[in-house]
Amino acid sequence: MLDRGRISSVQLFLLLVIAEAATAFLYAPSSVIKMVGRDSWLTPFIAAISGLVVAVVCIALAKRFPQQVFTEYLPQILGKIPGKILAGVYTAVFIHLSSVIMNQSSAFIHVAFLRETPLVALEIIIGLASIYGVYLGIEVIARQNELVWPVWVLSIFIIILLVAESINPDNFRPFLEKGIMPVIKGSALFSSFRGEVFLLLMLYPYLNKKEDVYKSAVYHLLTTAVLLGIITAAIIGVFGELIPVYMVFPIYNLARYISLARFVERIQILIVVMWMFGVIVKLAVFYHSAAIAAANTLGLKNYRLTLLPILAGTIIISRLFYGDHLSLTHFLSHIFPYYGPVVELVIPALVLLIAVILKKGGKS
Amino acid sequence: MISFFRWLGKFLKHMTAEPTGALLKPGDPGYQEVHTLSSNLDKNIKIITEIFGLCDDLMVRGLKIGRGKKQVRVAVIYLDPLINHTRLQQGLMHCLQTIDHLPSMGVTTEWLINNALSDGRVIEKKSFVEITDEINRGAACLLIEGLDQALLIRLAEKIGRAVEGPVTENVSKGALDAFNEDVRTNIALLRKRLHTTRLAVENLQIGELTKTEVKLVYLKGYVIEGLVDEIKSRVRRIRIDGIVDSGQVEELIQDSAFSLFSLLDSTERPDKLAANLLEGKAGLLFDNTPIAIIIPGTLINQIQSPEDYYQRYWFSSWIRVLRWLALLTALLGPSLWIAIITFHQELLPTELLMTILVTREGVPFPGLVEALIMELSLEVLREAGLRLPQTFGQTISIVGAVVLGQAAVSAGLASPGMVIVVALTAIASFVIPTQPLSNTIRILRFPFMLLAASFGLIGIIVGFSILTYHLCSLRSYGIPFLSPLAPLSFGDLKDTFIRAPIWKMLFRPRLTGYREPQRQNPDQRPHPPSRKGKKFIRRRK
Repeated sequence: MLDRGRISSVQLFLLLVIAEAATAFLYAPSSVIKMVGRDSWLTPFIAAISGLVVAVVCIALAKRFPQQVFTEYLPQILGKIPGKILAGVYTAVFIHLSSVIMNQSSAFIHVAFLRETPLVALEIIIGLASIYGVYLGIEVIARQNELVWPVWVLSIFIIILLVAESINPDNFRPFLEKGIMPVIKGSALFSSFRGEVFLLLMLYPYLNKKEDVYKSAVYHLLTTAVLLGIITAAIIGVFGELIPVYMVFPIYNLARYISLARFVERIQILIVVMWMFGVIVKLAVFYHSAAIAAANTLGLKNYRLTLLPILAGTIIISRLFYGDHLSLTHFLSHIFPYYGPVVELVIPALVLLIAVILKKGGKS
Repeated sequence: MISFFRWLGKFLKHMTAEPTGALLKPGDPGYQEVHTLSSNLDKNIKIITEIFGLCDDLMVRGLKIGRGKKQVRVAVIYLDPLINHTRLQQGLMHCLQTIDHLPSMGVTTEWLINNALSDGRVIEKKSFVEITDEINRGAACLLIEGLDQALLIRLAEKIGRAVEGPVTENVSKGALDAFNEDVRTNIALLRKRLHTTRLAVENLQIGELTKTEVKLVYLKGYVIEGLVDEIKSRVRRIRIDGIVDSGQVEELIQDSAFSLFSLLDSTERPDKLAANLLEGKAGLLFDNTPIAIIIPGTLINQIQSPEDYYQRYWFSSWIRVLRWLALLTALLGPSLWIAIITFHQELLPTELLMTILVTREGVPFPGLVEALIMELSLEVLREAGLRLPQTFGQTISIVGAVVLGQAAVSAGLASPGMVIVVALTAIASFVIPTQPLSNTIRILRFPFMLLAASFGLIGIIVGFSILTYHLCSLRSYGIPFLSPLAPLSFGDLKDTFIRAPIWKMLFRPRLTGYREPQRQNPDQRPHPPSRKGKKFIRRRK
């Protein structure tokens, strides 16, 4: 373990929530509503089941090696060279996911606020803020998250409270018009977001009371499901099922919609603040995992050395592959639903299977 | 090449070696012979006067005690300016001169202490180092013919001002005494508030030449475990010629030396120190400095005033919320303004935006330059106000108000909106009750302005994130600087953004007061006498 930090089960729970919801609440609703329509507020709850499966697999695997992170014990399970290769693959996955988050954040800021600032400059300062947190260690990230969290949740509830009068219950009727199947299909899209609970593989060793991990994971799945469900429901309630499909960030439009006493207007700023605070923590969690994975793969003693190269790498990937917004949404709605489950569920499950067969690690 | 390294090694060893000219320490060979008194009075006097050398204020008075043939020669040595002359005369000289009968066994120090001297603070010393040290601190040294021991009578005159009110930490309700430059007075002020044998006062000394007295105070059985040893080891590590103010020590013993934040709290109020000791912290009191240090420090402690506990709880809670708002205003005021007028005009309601734009018309600078000019002149003004003799204070306030406010606007160099924002931040920064935090905020304002000018609100958020990351990583003597916010201890939130009623503050803060968690009896809420009139006072549980 390269980071000697310790986090409590509450901190882990809050970290997992922010690591998932910080981007999901902005990007997922639009594409889910496109697929499922007016019942899409149910999808986060159904997707929670797949999240639970991922969590169970990851925890079972992590418990066999309670003092090591995923990329550290891979060579012990698979043998030196295949293990290192898979660790390298996961390093790449974390770097890639970081660059997707990076791209999401800069794209959102670009659309919402700064239309003339170069995206590279935005990505550099956001990245620097995040890797500063990684430099200070997982403990600091977790504490930062404790500060960010109340701001984050409060602003969501303020927005929903302020649009509550515009919610039209008729927008939810008829309920389950085409049966439950489209909802289940649509939840596949959410599942990949929900599967980000696989970060447990990289965070489990830092937990100070290991027996509380199930509690953290289950609370996380429930909280995020409720949050995302409420947000999606509010969007549908206000805009119906047709308009949000054409919106890039429906929740942002929701915040713009608020007008109270002709004075509390244009408080979309709240969304940006909340999103930015959240995304810096989320990025820090992914960067942390990427840095630890990279250091394990390369056999480094100090993971901090990898931070600047990883930052440069994510910015390059983000600019080269997702230079325009279309390729990002294409990735999120067409590639991520397949790519996500593979790295989040299938590979860890196979590794777990091999570990069980070869009797590697302590008993789970 | 190798010889070069050898030479380098020797050179480094030479540079880092202890200075050899220092006096021998107890236990060294030869220490006894060279550095203790002999029984020859004249020789002793000669050595002491030689040690002091060219000291004009060193007084040596020889006299004879007793009557008749058995007279014994003695000498009194002291530093004239330090001595209280009345007490010298009554407590020592008069006593010595009126001794009638010397004991037949010969004069001993014990006999003198018990029968001759009326002043109580007498100690016996043998070594010259200790004797000269005591003389330097204002003791009179009594040397007796034929004895190899000296009596030191502490007759120091109390030099300095009387106990006065606090200068920087003012309250409208609460005690009005503050520490001053005399460490014994400071200890007395503290003891006056903590009448308990648990109050430990340990002496530490810093400075090879100044030999400044530093007192470590804490409550035995309440203080955080290991804290006292850690403080002592850090203070003893200090090797320095002199300490003139507690601020110097603060820099030498705090964690995270490069942080902008002051990780130790300082106060000039004995009530604040006493309250902090009750929460399991420790304090350092210094001679010659009216500021005490509280260890460990937290951010929350620096944004609270002792007055919060003396006012009613709902009012204190309101003031605390207000203080947090003021803190944010002082930190982010100008940068938010820059961000909004440069990047995010759409955030303002249209009418307000029009008003601002009209007043900004004709201002030749971009927002950042305008803000920097105004902020810098404000900083200069503030510093000038601090340094100026009091009689010029009026001048400065007129120059500041007229030139920087009125004239800058009418000359078209600054917009009225900017002047309001700058004034507001200045006032807001005075709301922060402790000086170090206020200074930190003053400095941090500038990077935030630069970030706001380059990236607008996003820059501010990024800057704020970096700031909170930094705050989260800080620790002061093992206690997280941001506790109880992060790591969150939910029970302690009763005393952060709000202040719970005193009868609700059942437990000490979790991280500092864990050795004696309970502060008071539960169920102390005042109740009216019950209607039947039987139970007049609720019984304790």
